[in-house]
Amino acid sequence: MPKEIIVDPDLMRQKATLAFAEIPVNAYATPFAEERARRGDAALREILRHMLIIRAFESMLASFKATGSYAGISFNYKGPAHLSIGQEGAAVGAALALKPEDHIFGSHRSHGEFIAKGLSTIAQLDEPALNAIMAEHQDGGLLRSVQQHIGGEGKALAENFLLFGLLAEIFMRANGFNGGMGGSMHAFFPPFGAFPNNAIVGGSAGIATGAALRKKLSGSGGITVANSGDGSTGCGPVWEAMNFAAMAQLDTLWGDKKGGLPVLFFFNNNFYAMGGQTIGETMGWDRLSRIGAAINPASMHAETVNGTNPLAVADAVARKRALLLEGKGPALLDVECYRISGHSTTDTNVYRSREEMQLWEAHDPIVLFERALLDEGVLTEDSLAAMRDTVAAQIKAITSAAVDPAAAPIVDVRADPTLIGRLMFSNAEIPVPETPAPLLAAPETSARIRQNAKKARFGLSESGEKLSAMRAITLRDGLFESVLHHMVNDPSLIAYGEECREWGGAFGVYRGLSDILPYDRLFNSPISEAAIVATAVGHALEGGRSLVELMYGDFIGRAGDEIFNQMAKWQSMSAGALKVPVVLRCSIGSKYGAQHSQDWSALVAHIPGLKVLYPATPYDAKGLLASALSSEDPVVFFESQRLYDVVEQFRTEGVPTDYYRIPMGEPDIKRVGSDVTILTIGPSLYSAIAAAEQLETHHGLSAEIIDARSLVPFNYDTVLESVKKTGRILLVSEASERGSFAMTLSANIARFAFGDLKAAPRVLGSPNWIVPGAEMETTYFPQVEDILDVVTGEFFPEKRSNRRGVRDWNDLDLARRAL
Amino acid sequence: MDIPLLMPQLGNETTEAELTEWLKAVGDAVTEGEQILVVTTTKLSMEIEAPASGTIKEIVVPEGDLAEIGATLAIISTE
Repeated sequence: MPKEIIVDPDLMRQKATLAFAEIPVNAYATPFAEERARRGDAALREILRHMLIIRAFESMLASFKATGSYAGISFNYKGPAHLSIGQEGAAVGAALALKPEDHIFGSHRSHGEFIAKGLSTIAQLDEPALNAIMAEHQDGGLLRSVQQHIGGEGKALAENFLLFGLLAEIFMRANGFNGGMGGSMHAFFPPFGAFPNNAIVGGSAGIATGAALRKKLSGSGGITVANSGDGSTGCGPVWEAMNFAAMAQLDTLWGDKKGGLPVLFFFNNNFYAMGGQTIGETMGWDRLSRIGAAINPASMHAETVNGTNPLAVADAVARKRALLLEGKGPALLDVECYRISGHSTTDTNVYRSREEMQLWEAHDPIVLFERALLDEGVLTEDSLAAMRDTVAAQIKAITSAAVDPAAAPIVDVRADPTLIGRLMFSNAEIPVPETPAPLLAAPETSARIRQNAKKARFGLSESGEKLSAMRAITLRDGLFESVLHHMVNDPSLIAYGEECREWGGAFGVYRGLSDILPYDRLFNSPISEAAIVATAVGHALEGGRSLVELMYGDFIGRAGDEIFNQMAKWQSMSAGALKVPVVLRCSIGSKYGAQHSQDWSALVAHIPGLKVLYPATPYDAKGLLASALSSEDPVVFFESQRLYDVVEQFRTEGVPTDYYRIPMGEPDIKRVGSDVTILTIGPSLYSAIAAAEQLETHHGLSAEIIDARSLVPFNYDTVLESVKKTGRILLVSEASERGSFAMTLSANIARFAFGDLKAAPRVLGSPNWIVPGAEMETTYFPQVEDILDVVTGEFFPEKRSNRRGVRDWNDLDLARRAL
Repeated sequence: MDIPLLMPQLGNETTEAELTEWLKAVGDAVTEGEQILVVTTTKLSMEIEAPASGTIKEIVVPEGDLAEIGATLAIISTE
C-alpha cells in the first residue's frame, strides 16, 4: 500500500484491450554451420559426450532396477529411480549456457540436470579451482575415495568425482555428496552450482526464486534456475513463486535495487505428469509457455523450445540469462522433451500408446545430435564408437566403486544410532550482528523508537498496578527491539510478509521500521504463504538470512510443504552442508473464530528439523527472538495476539534496553511453589498465575508455575526438578488437546518422573472442536476456573468445591464420540 | 467560535494514544479536513484532521504526551 502509487479511477475506467507479449514457439533457426563456427568441433563433441554420460548413467540405474545387475555388476538398489532418458538435450543444452556462478534447483527427476551442470562447471573452471573444491568437500574424503578406487587426472578426475559423488549419494552411502542423507531425488553439490533437487513437484520454484532474491541483493552475480516438470504447472506454489518473482514493486519501488529477480523457470516439459497427460488432459494451457502471459506484461519472456536439440536450448537459455542479468526477470522456458523411460521403474506405460512412443524415437536427442555431427563431419563412426566405449567404461568404473563398501561406505546407523539425529540441527548461532546496514533514516528519528524510549521497562508501578501498554514496554515492543537490532546491524537479513511494511504487520510489530529500512530489506509480499516461506528458504540457502511472517498461524496450511518439507529438511538432507537461517513468525489469533484462532504449535513441533518457540512475556519475547534471529537453524516463532500488549510483570529489573539473547529450550519458573506444578504454553501462563493466587488465598495450596517458552528444544530438567518437589503436574495450553504438544510433554513427564508423581500428569487444553467466536471464547480456551477445578477437584479432592468452569464433561465419553 | 480537537476513538480496546507530531503550530491557519496531528497507539500511527477551518488557538496536549480517548488536544478558533 505505497502512497506514492495512486490507483487512479479515471485510468482504471478507460476502455481498453489487454495485449500480451508474444510467446515464440520453436523459434530457434541458427544454421548448424554457424553454431559449428562459433563453438568449434571439440565443443560440439563434448555436448554429445555429456548427453551420452547422462544416458549411460540413467540406463545403469534402469538396469539395476529391472534386473539387479549392470555390466556384470550385481547390486540390489532399493531406492527410487526417476530417470530422464530422452531429456538429455534439455539438461545439457541448459548447462551449456550457464556459468559456474549460476545455481540450478531441481526436481525429483534431476540426475541429468545435475550431471550436465556439473560437467559444464568442470569444463569452465580451471584445475586448481576444481582441486580446491574437491579437497575441501568432506575434508577430501570423497576425493580420496575417487583417487583410490577410480582414478583419473585433472578434469577427468573431477568428472569421476562428480559422477561417483552422485551415485554414492543415490546409493545413500556415507561419502555421497550429501552424506547419504539426500538420495536420488535430493542429490546436490553447491560448489558446482547444483543446489537441492526436490522430491516435491514444483518445490524448487519458490526456493530458486528466494535464491535469486539473495543473488540480486548480495550482488554475487549469476542467475538461478528453477527446474521442474510440466506437471508442476498445476501446483499453486509454482504460480505463487512466479508471481512473487514478478512483483511490480521490484521495478516501481526498489530504488537503487530496482529490477526483476534473476530466476529462470525452466520447465522440462515431457508432456506427462507421471501418468496424467498435461497437453490435452490435465491442463488447459495447450502450450505450457502460455502461462507466462498470466504473470506479467512481458509474459515472463516465455518461449517454447525444442528440448531435443541442445543447441536450441542453449540458445534460449543464453538469451534469457542475459535478460535476467539486465534486471528484466523472471523468465520462463517451456522445454519440450519426451521422456523415453517411464516415470519410474514401475511404469508400464499404460497411459500412452506404443505408436506415440515410436513416433518420438526419431526425436531422441542423442540420435539426432549424433546424426548431425556425423553428417557434418564433426565426428566419424569410429570416433563415435570410441566415445561410447569411453563413456561406458567411465560409468562402469564409477558403478563398480559405488557398490563397493570399501570405496563407498554404508552409513552405519547401527554403530551410531543417533547419527542421523545429530544432523537435524547445527545448534550454531551467529555473533551479535554489528555490520551497519544502509538505512533510509537514523533509527532515533522513528516515532516508534522515541515512543518506546519514554516507556517504563517494567510493567508494574511501585504500588503493583499494571501500567498501560502506552506507558510500559510490551511484548510487541520487545519483539520490535530485537528485530530492529538485527535489521540495522545485519545487511544479510531481510524481512517480509503480508502488510509488513507501512502497516508494520497486521499487529504492528514492525510499526516504524518502514521509516528507516529500504524496500529491499522490508517489503510487503503478495498473499502467498507458500511463496513467503519457500523464498525465505531459498534466500537462506543462498547465504542470506530470512525473517518472514504468516499473519495467522492458521495459514500454516497454506505453506504446509514449504514449512514441513523445505524449511525443516535441508539442513539434515545436506548432512549439514546447508544452513537454513529462517525465522517464521506466526501470530496465534483470538476473537476471529475457527479459522483464525488456532494454536497449531504441535503441528510444527511434530516435524523433525524445526525449532519452535512460544514466549509469553516481553522479556522472553525479546530475548528468544534475538536467539531465533541468530540461529543457523530454522525457527518457527509463535506469538499470541492476546499478549502483544502485555507488559513485563515477572522480571522486576524490567526488559533490558540493550540487546540480549535467551537460550532456546529452557522453560522458566515464573512463580515458585511446592504443592503442584503448572506447566504452561503461551498465554495460559496468565490464567495459571491468576489461578495460583486463588489457590494460595482460598485453598492454602502453593502452585509452581513454569512457562515452557520453547517447545523444541525442551530441557525437561527444570520441570522434573519441580515435580520431584510437588509430585503433581498440570499442563495448560490453548491448543485443542488431542495431539497437542502439552500431551507430548505430559507423556514424557509421566515416564521421566514416574517415581516422583503422586498423580498422573493432567493436560488441560482446549476441547477438540472448533474455536468459537469472541463471545464464546472463554468457554473454549482454559480459564482460571478450569485450572482451579482440575487442581482442587482432581489433585486435592479434599479441597474440592463446586465446579466453577464450564468443562462439565466426561473425557472418555467425548473421545468415543470423536471429540 | 472555539472548536475543540478531540482524541478520537482508535479501535475499541484503545484507551489512550501518544501525540507523536503536531503538523501545525499555534497561530497557523487550518482548513477543515487538513491533517494537523499524528497520533500513535500501540499498534498504529494515524493522522488526525482538523474538525473545522480556522486558526490554531491553543495546543492543549504537547507533542510526546499521552492523552486519553475524548481528551481535548487543541482548540481551533473559527473567527
